[in-house]
Amino acid sequence: MKPPILIIIMATIMTGTMIVMLSSHWLLIWIGFEMNMLAIIPILMKKYNPRAMEASTKYFLTQATASMLLMMGVTINLLYSGQWVVSKISNPIASIMMTTALTMKLGLSPFHFWVPEVTQGITLMSGMILLTWQKIAPMSILYQISPSINTNLLMLMALTSVLVGGWGGLNQTQLRKIMAYSSIAHMGWMAAIITYNPTMMVLNLTLYILMTLSTFMLFMLNSSTTTLSLSHMWNKFPLITSMILILMLSLGGLPPLSGFIPKWMIIQELTKNNMIIIPTLMAITALLNLYFYLRLTYSTALTMFPSTNNMKMKWQFEYTKKATLLPPLIITSTMLLPLTPMLSVLD
Amino acid sequence: MLKIIIPTIMLIPLTWMSKPNMIWINTTTYGLLISLISLFYLNQPNDNTLNSSLMFFSDSLSAPLLALTTWLLPLMLMASQHHLSKEPLTRKKLYISMLILLQLFLIMTFTASELIFFYILFEATLIPTLIIITRWGNQTERLNAGLYFLFYTLMGSLPLLVALLYIHNFMGSLNFLMIQYWIQPLPNSWSNIFLWLACMMAFMVKMPLYGLHLWLPKAHVEAPIAGSMVLAAVLLKLGGYGMMRITTLLNPLTNFMAYPFMMLSLWGMIMTSSICLRQTDLKSLIAYSSVSHMALVIVAVLIQTPWSYMGATALMIAHGLTSSMLFCLANSNYERIHSRTMILARGLQTLLPLMAAWWLLASLTNLALPPTINLIGELFVVMSSFSWSNITIILMGINITITALYSLYMLITTQRGKYSHHIKNIKPSFTRENALMTLHLLPLLLLSLNPKIILGPLY
Repeated sequence: MKPPILIIIMATIMTGTMIVMLSSHWLLIWIGFEMNMLAIIPILMKKYNPRAMEASTKYFLTQATASMLLMMGVTINLLYSGQWVVSKISNPIASIMMTTALTMKLGLSPFHFWVPEVTQGITLMSGMILLTWQKIAPMSILYQISPSINTNLLMLMALTSVLVGGWGGLNQTQLRKIMAYSSIAHMGWMAAIITYNPTMMVLNLTLYILMTLSTFMLFMLNSSTTTLSLSHMWNKFPLITSMILILMLSLGGLPPLSGFIPKWMIIQELTKNNMIIIPTLMAITALLNLYFYLRLTYSTALTMFPSTNNMKMKWQFEYTKKATLLPPLIITSTMLLPLTPMLSVLD
Repeated sequence: MLKIIIPTIMLIPLTWMSKPNMIWINTTTYGLLISLISLFYLNQPNDNTLNSSLMFFSDSLSAPLLALTTWLLPLMLMASQHHLSKEPLTRKKLYISMLILLQLFLIMTFTASELIFFYILFEATLIPTLIIITRWGNQTERLNAGLYFLFYTLMGSLPLLVALLYIHNFMGSLNFLMIQYWIQPLPNSWSNIFLWLACMMAFMVKMPLYGLHLWLPKAHVEAPIAGSMVLAAVLLKLGGYGMMRITTLLNPLTNFMAYPFMMLSLWGMIMTSSICLRQTDLKSLIAYSSVSHMALVIVAVLIQTPWSYMGATALMIAHGLTSSMLFCLANSNYERIHSRTMILARGLQTLLPLMAAWWLLASLTNLALPPTINLIGELFVVMSSFSWSNITIILMGINITITALYSLYMLITTQRGKYSHHIKNIKPSFTRENALMTLHLLPLLLLSLNPKIILGPLY
């Protein structure tokens, strides 16, 4: 894609999300969502093949439906409260519609079916933008309407998302699908805590974005999209295999890595609100997630997969791919746990 | 406590920046120096008030375990020198760093004063152990072993996290020194029963309890020698230590909740001892013997009498040193014949007489010969379980007999009799190996002169 066009499209994506996050008028929020969606379609179709077209079409259809549902919820809210300002939604029907629309945009179960297929059909870079930047806008709206969200609905969606994210990823060998199911599961954890303590949702989102960015960058460094091609990494960059090990364990939520912080905080907030079984169930289902991350690390870092002889020469060549900001990303995605007491500044 | 933790952290730059021929010497020497520092904590005044800082403390229960952990690092390094000699330098340094990292987490776990801090480090010890087992184990089964190890422990400990956070909300703080004074009896209700289960299952899996012990033979057998040593000697004791700390919060539910686990332990110790009699794999035999000894510790902790706590603590320290020594002996066999089958290398007494002396002493301490501390531990546990219920003496007696049987079976199969003719050309014992066995045995025998330091807080 020609650089000027790429810059304009990227700027539109960012502007769209910024408009969603910073405006207080529901119409502008809808405009922001539409801008974001329309601008990301060319990004999803960077490689012009039928698979990418199918992925973009699916993305467009789900996001457009969700935006329309959101607009309907906004209109019902306008009918009952008479204002366009983003604030507490008094009408439960409007609130449920908005919640459904936003969870459709996020890819929470039972609206998760588009996430693996869209992520699989696009390049790694587009997948990275899809799974990290695109989550910010819906999450910010959920944050703003969090006092009026129906807890039962969102908790049900969260639980089923964690289950789907865990079980769906078990049979996958394609890295993009694995990251898609990981995103579904993490969105589930975030949705569970919105109605109780939205700050923890922001914490989880931040850490999730950092970890996913690092993971995708490591995949892109290796240009690998399957587990098999990832397993050849020990020939090329042995140091990066250790990074993949630590990152995957952090994504799985193992202490003492920073992936444990959101899980700990979320379980703490849920137990403060007298829910014991749900966090236990969520924590145990997160073990399914850990299983397929661990399978990735087994094939990549902890065993030396057999490879052809010409692979073994690859370490001699210097790699020229740029890994932007990779060291700080990896450090923040794995070593932030000792800084957990600093969360008190958020009060 | 920082005087132990910071030198241990600094051992990692020491490995990475030492000259290639000095990495083992440097780390072993400084590891031994650090263990000397930890011995200071054994001098406990009897009123249980040793509190070092806001985050760390040590009392008569954690000080012996701390000394055991720091003592074990140089021994692990000495034991690993041979099987890593052919690896490239970076991998050697990585292995040593993993061991030091594990040591660091274990030191912090045993001296943690807040229960959530303890939990985080309890889980953190899993990661270096997983890496050591899966990356440096020798057979293909090590992948499965790592998975079983990680997931059994995590399944048990995630409910523990929820339970600890619930108790935090309920009591206000989880600092162990403070909650001793705020304990109220736990009323009997279904939710408190689940709370009890959530608190204890993590440690039951770690100990391991008989029904949940499936990860242990896999992990112990597939791990390299340092992994086996630290698993058997220290990681199992994490379970015992955690149980002893958390049962203070769970009275009086323990009176009736303990019954299923007592039954499993009492039956399990006989079962696992009997399996030892039929093992062909030497490391597997020692692994099952660990399960059997730890079942005694579980029985002792669940009875909750002063004598049983003393016996549990003594048994943990004694078993740590004995089991680690047995694994080192098994490894010395493995390095020579590259097989764990017992009958392949028989009659070693003729070929390696000094090693046979260590085998004899290790087997004698394993079967709890007087006056070793193994006997003190087992005897206290047997006596307190007899006072809890008279009939347990039958099961305990059967267990002691079968323990003696399999220890002697192991000794006689590997050491006595005519040697198998294909092992005549094995290398003689290295001084390093003899030093290793001495360093295991010396604390064990010296402690029988003054066992009060390992008898725990209720002495």
